[in-house]
Amino acid sequence: MKFLGLVLKSARRSGTEASSSTRIVTIRSTSLIFSMPTSHAETIRSTPGVQDLTWANWFGGIYKDPQNFFANIAIEPVSYLRMYPEIVLAPEARAAFVEDRTACIVGEGLARRYGFKLGDKITLKVGIPTYGTEDYDFTVRGVYKSGGAAVDNQSMFFHWKYVDERSLVKGQAGWYVIKVANPDQAAQVSAAIDQKFANSPYETKTDTERAFQSSFVSMFGNLSLLLGSISLAVVITTLFVAGNTMAMSVRERTTEIAVMRTLGFPSSTIFLLVAGEALLMSIIGGVLGVGLARVIVNPNLIQAGAFIPVFGVNNTNAAVGLGLSAFIGLVAGFIPATMASRLKIVDALRRAA
Amino acid sequence: MALIELRDVTKSYTRDAIEIPVLDRVSIAVEAGDFLGLMGPSGSGKSTLLNLLAGIDRPTSGSVRVGDTEISSLPERSLAGWRARHIGFIFQLYNLIPVLTAFENVELPLLLTNLTKAQRRDHVTTALGIVALGDREKHYPRQLSGGQEQRVAIARAIVTDPTLLLADEPTGDLDAKSAAEVLTLLQRLNQEYKKTIVMVTHDPHAAERASHLLHLEKGTLVEQTRVG
Ligand SMILES: Nc1ncnc2c1ncn2[C@@H]1O[C@H](COP(=O)(O)OP(=O)(O)OP(=O)(O)O)[C@@H](O)[C@H]1O
Ligand SMILES: [Mg+2]
Repeated sequence: MKFLGLVLKSARRSGTEASSSTRIVTIRSTSLIFSMPTSHAETIRSTPGVQDLTWANWFGGIYKDPQNFFANIAIEPVSYLRMYPEIVLAPEARAAFVEDRTACIVGEGLARRYGFKLGDKITLKVGIPTYGTEDYDFTVRGVYKSGGAAVDNQSMFFHWKYVDERSLVKGQAGWYVIKVANPDQAAQVSAAIDQKFANSPYETKTDTERAFQSSFVSMFGNLSLLLGSISLAVVITTLFVAGNTMAMSVRERTTEIAVMRTLGFPSSTIFLLVAGEALLMSIIGGVLGVGLARVIVNPNLIQAGAFIPVFGVNNTNAAVGLGLSAFIGLVAGFIPATMASRLKIVDALRRAA
Repeated sequence: MALIELRDVTKSYTRDAIEIPVLDRVSIAVEAGDFLGLMGPSGSGKSTLLNLLAGIDRPTSGSVRVGDTEISSLPERSLAGWRARHIGFIFQLYNLIPVLTAFENVELPLLLTNLTKAQRRDHVTTALGIVALGDREKHYPRQLSGGQEQRVAIARAIVTDPTLLLADEPTGDLDAKSAAEVLTLLQRLNQEYKKTIVMVTHDPHAAERASHLLHLEKGTLVEQTRVG
C-alpha cells in the first residue's frame, strides 16, 4: 500500500490550501475517474463569464516499477501553461516543450528523485488500458519550478495530443480547468456550465479548484481507508473462520485426543499439536494466497482504472501477508488448542461411548 | 505386597450441586500376575474404578497405589508419564486413530519413549506378531474387522510392556467368535507373558477366563470369587 501513501503525499502537496480563486474545474458528475469528450470545451467556452479554458487527463503511466508513483498528466501545452503561471519554466524550455510532440516537462523535485535531466528519455508503461498497450517514450524538454501551492514540483506533464493519438477512445478530457473573469461569479458560472450538460450522457460537476484538489485527495484517502477496512474485515473474518474450523476439528477428534492422553501424551504436547496444525494450515493458506495474489494482482492482469495507479504484490506485501497468516494461525489455534489440552479424559471417553 | 492396592476409595460426581456417589469406600488388592474380572450391573461404577486404576481419573478420597506409586497424589504431568510407562488400556470401541495404519497405531505409545526408529519397528513387529496381525501392518482401521481392530488395540496396549493391562468391556462390541479370540489372547498374555490384567465385563464367557472375579453393586464390592 506504499503507493497510496505516495499518492496522498503528492496529492496533499499539490495543496488544498492556496489555489487560485479564479480557476474552477469541471469533472464528470459521477466521478473523477471517468472522462468526457473534448467537445465539451466549446460549450464551456461559450458560457458567459468564462475567460479561458484548458483540459487535462490523468495518464497513470508507470515509470519502470509501479512503486515509482508520481502524477503524470496529459495536457494541452499552450493553454495549460497559460492557465498555470505557477508552472515556472525557462522560455527556451517552454518553447522546446510546446514544439515537440513527444516532449515532457518534469517538476524539479521529481527530476531530483530520479535524476532526470534535459534531453533524457523517459519511458512510461501504460497503466490504464484505454491508452493502448505500447510503452510511451518522452523526451525531457524542461524542468519546472513550482511558483505557487496549486502546483507541486513532483509531476510530469506531456502533450495530450500525443497520448490521444494512441488512445482507444479518442478525444477524452479528464477535467477542464476554467478561468473565470470575476472570482465572485465562480459559483454562478459553475452552475451555468453544469446546467448545459444536465441530462446529457456526460453530466458534469464544476467546482472550485480547491474543491477539485481535495476531491483528488479524498478519492485516494477514501480508497486507502476503504481498502484498509476491507482488509481488516477480511482478516477478522478469516480469524473467526479459522478459529471455528480448528475448534470443530478438535471437537471431531475429542476421542482421539482422549485416547492419546490415555496413552500418556502430556497435555502440552496436545496443545502444541493442535496449535501447530492451525499454524501450519494457516501458513500453507498464506503461501497459496500470496502466490495467487502475485499472479493475479499484477499490472498485466489487473487494471484498476483511471487515476488508480497500477499495483502489484512486492516482497514486503508478501512478507506482510505471510506474517498475517501466521498471526491468524496462532490466534485461531490458541483457544482450540487450550480446549484440547484441558480436555477431561474420562468425560471425553464417555461422550464417545 | 500386592501390585495394586485401592484403599477406601470413594468417588462421587457433582451434578447441579447434587453429589452423586459412584464408588463408596472400595478396597481391592490385586496381585502381580492376576487376571481380574470386574462385573456388575450397568452404572455400578466399573468403568469409574478402572479409570482410577489407569490414572485418567482421580478418587474423591482414598488411595490408589500401583507398584510403589501412589497415583492419586501425582500431579497431572507426571501422571501422563506414569501412564505411558505402566498402563496399557484397551477400550470397548478399540479407539484406534483412523488416519494411522495398524503399524502406526501400535507405534504411537512408543513415540513417548527414547527408542530409536529401528527399535520401535522391532517392538511393533513383535506386538503385532503376538496378536497374529503381522500381515496387517499397512492396513488402516477401517480396512480391518472389529475383532482385528481390537487385536491391534491390544498390540498398542502391550507394545510398551506396561505393568498393568486394563480392559473396559473389550468384547462388548464383538461377535462371539471374535470375542473368544480376544479373550484367548488376553488369557495368553496373562499366562505366557505374565501380564497383570484387570478387565471389566458383562459377559459371563469373558468372566470365565479371569482368575478372580469382583462384583460391584451400586458402588460397593459385594462378593469376591476365585475362579478355578
Ligand atoms: N463424568 C461423570 N459425571 C457424572 N456422572 C458420572 C460421570 N461418570 C460416571 N458417572 C455416573 O457414575 C455411575 C457409574 O458409571 P460407570 O461408567 O462407572 O458405570 P459402569 O459400571 O461402567 O456402567 P456400564 O456397565 O454401563 O459401562 C453412573 O451412574 C454414571 O452416570
Ligand atoms: Mg462402563
